[in-house]
Amino acid sequence: MPPPLSDPNYQPTAGDAVLPADRTNAAITPIVALVGPPNSGKSTLFNQLTGLRQKVANYPGVTVEKHIGTARLPDQRALQLVDLPGTNGFAARSMDERVTRDVLEGRVQGLRAPDALVLIVDSTRLETQLMLVEPTLKLGIPTLLVLNMADELEQRGGAVRDDDLAEHLGVRVVRTNARNGDGLDQVRDFLIGVADRGLLPPRTCPALSNIVTGTPLPMVDQFTERRRRIQEIGRASGFVLPRGSELTERLDGLFLHRIWGPLIFLAVVVLVFQSIFTWAVPLMDGVQILVAGSGAWMAERLPESWIRALLIDGVWAGVGSVVVFLPQILVLFLFLGLLEDSGYMARAAVIADRTMYRVGLQGRAFLPLLSGYACAIPAILAARTVEDERDRLATIFVTPFMTCSARLPVYALLIAAFIPERRLVGPFLGTRAATLLGLYILGALTAIATAAVLRRTLLRGQRDSFFMELPPYRIPSVRSIGLRLYDRSRIFLRRAGTIILAVAIILWFLTQVPQSGGAPPSIDDSFIGRMGQIIEPVIRPLGFDWTIGVGLISALAAREVIIGTLGTLYQVEDPTQGSLQLQDALRNHLDLGAAVGLLVFFAFALQCTSTIAVMRRETAGWKWPVLQFGYMLTLAYGFALFANWLI
Amino acid sequence: MRPIQSANHDPTATEPHLVDITLREVVELVRIDLPADQMEPLLERGLLPGCQLCPVRQSPSGDPIVMVDGTLLAIRHEVARCLCVRRPGSNGA
Repeated sequence: MPPPLSDPNYQPTAGDAVLPADRTNAAITPIVALVGPPNSGKSTLFNQLTGLRQKVANYPGVTVEKHIGTARLPDQRALQLVDLPGTNGFAARSMDERVTRDVLEGRVQGLRAPDALVLIVDSTRLETQLMLVEPTLKLGIPTLLVLNMADELEQRGGAVRDDDLAEHLGVRVVRTNARNGDGLDQVRDFLIGVADRGLLPPRTCPALSNIVTGTPLPMVDQFTERRRRIQEIGRASGFVLPRGSELTERLDGLFLHRIWGPLIFLAVVVLVFQSIFTWAVPLMDGVQILVAGSGAWMAERLPESWIRALLIDGVWAGVGSVVVFLPQILVLFLFLGLLEDSGYMARAAVIADRTMYRVGLQGRAFLPLLSGYACAIPAILAARTVEDERDRLATIFVTPFMTCSARLPVYALLIAAFIPERRLVGPFLGTRAATLLGLYILGALTAIATAAVLRRTLLRGQRDSFFMELPPYRIPSVRSIGLRLYDRSRIFLRRAGTIILAVAIILWFLTQVPQSGGAPPSIDDSFIGRMGQIIEPVIRPLGFDWTIGVGLISALAAREVIIGTLGTLYQVEDPTQGSLQLQDALRNHLDLGAAVGLLVFFAFALQCTSTIAVMRRETAGWKWPVLQFGYMLTLAYGFALFANWLI
Repeated sequence: MRPIQSANHDPTATEPHLVDITLREVVELVRIDLPADQMEPLLERGLLPGCQLCPVRQSPSGDPIVMVDGTLLAIRHEVARCLCVRRPGSNGA
């Protein structure tokens, strides 16, 4: 029988971190870190225990930052839980793995090293995942081993005896199914024990890098030795490897088929875009009726005054014109959620990998790029999973070309206003969906071309080896997708209620001054009109007038703000037209060439201050964000000019 | 670079590489001919000399997808060429 792996006599060596002295402060709540390999279910367990809603999905590398939440025990005591990025080892090659290592070693400012660990592994892949147990236990921190997805292990004919595993590893072992909450009580029992015991006494914390590489054995021998010990423990614990998932086998036969695979990939993409213009329309009509109805209701009841004008022409026209796009955003996120949670996203990365290879990017960069379809900010953070620094920088640089969801309302508005709907491929693809798809492809192709140039010039380097774990397919849970859509609606509406509302109010005031004889000026003579006319010469060659110029500047706060801005400006310009007839108003201000130019401008320009701020943080300086802003603006202006000239 | 190989490796034998193996054939990994920084992530995921590998299918672009210890791993053709393997029952096994 092998000796237990946990070693209470472990002696840390030089380089080990000394824990901060405030560890002894008994008033502080204990900290429990969730650690484990990628896609083992840490964030799902974290969400279950804290009631929070960190993003979870069925592919490795979803969590790239530490997230802290409070777990309340049945007796109302509280513990701090730290959800960590997944890691297969502690060599910390990538930025997300460094986050995990630093938290475990107590090197993060303002966060003590954890008082206990919950090590979560996918029990269907037990032997490989247990490779992480040995270095984790060497930290000398009380640890609970959670065998997650235990239901799947049993369903597929796998087995392990928890008691024997616990005895050989020297830790408590529980099995859970974090998705439906099975086994959580046992995890809570462990947390109660941690709360009863309180904080760990002051001590030195061993550096994980020393544990892994500080021994005299060459790297491969360390791994094979560790693997041998784990296999021995597995045998002694009656571990039986489960059969492969039949569902996964069958679906991969289709989705990764040489011919069907790429065709299905294409069909999925077309379906998403067509749905945005078909499924979302009844919902959008509903929201539009609601917004228009409420506006008319308000207008009837409020006495004629400047407050009424502000509310109707400023706030309601500005915010309302953006809110109607919520259903389209939700359709996009519904599809993204289904693709991510089912496990298809990892297959899409495999299908796209050859292209990524030719470009010179890691296949791993594909997943951050795909998440850029939702928003560039988490996508730039997700690039932390890319190990090679030059690859990571190239990925970050091209991410804003991926069409984020803030561009969607702008595209949808302009396409609906200028592109007549006609069938292209029967009922499957219409002209509007095809135009939208074309804009997404334009963004993706520019990202690929830019990456190819960067990897051959500024960020020249060797092509990295690629491998990707393909998780088993899982049926997405209605609750998980529903919560994600709910959260996305909240984010969208919050933005409408803050940034867009503020811009609408400020803009409205700027349209009302300077007043002459108590009456507001014509919009061209107002402050905003005069300011717009100053910038007009710069954008005139693109076919844009000053209202579009003001819209473009306001869009720096967030891209969709341009809709609110134009909604307010055109409503003030012509209050009789019943607001929300933005499409008609746009047709009065833009011809087709200029409208295509505006679409192209939005496809390329980096109009998002939050993205610039995150880029500065992730690249530790202004060089890359400034270069990127200049590059994207030049492309945007150049191609919009070309489009306006051509059409 | 130190070659990475399993303990009972016979250096005189010519081993096939993973790219030479037909689908569904189970083989043993003998050696990984990659620089240490590219090899370590593979080791962490259980691709260790001595482990059993089975190419289960090819991606649409012809890259192998292998089963290692219950995990499906998609790897590039270029990496598969660096994985020396041994068929069960062959010399030195």
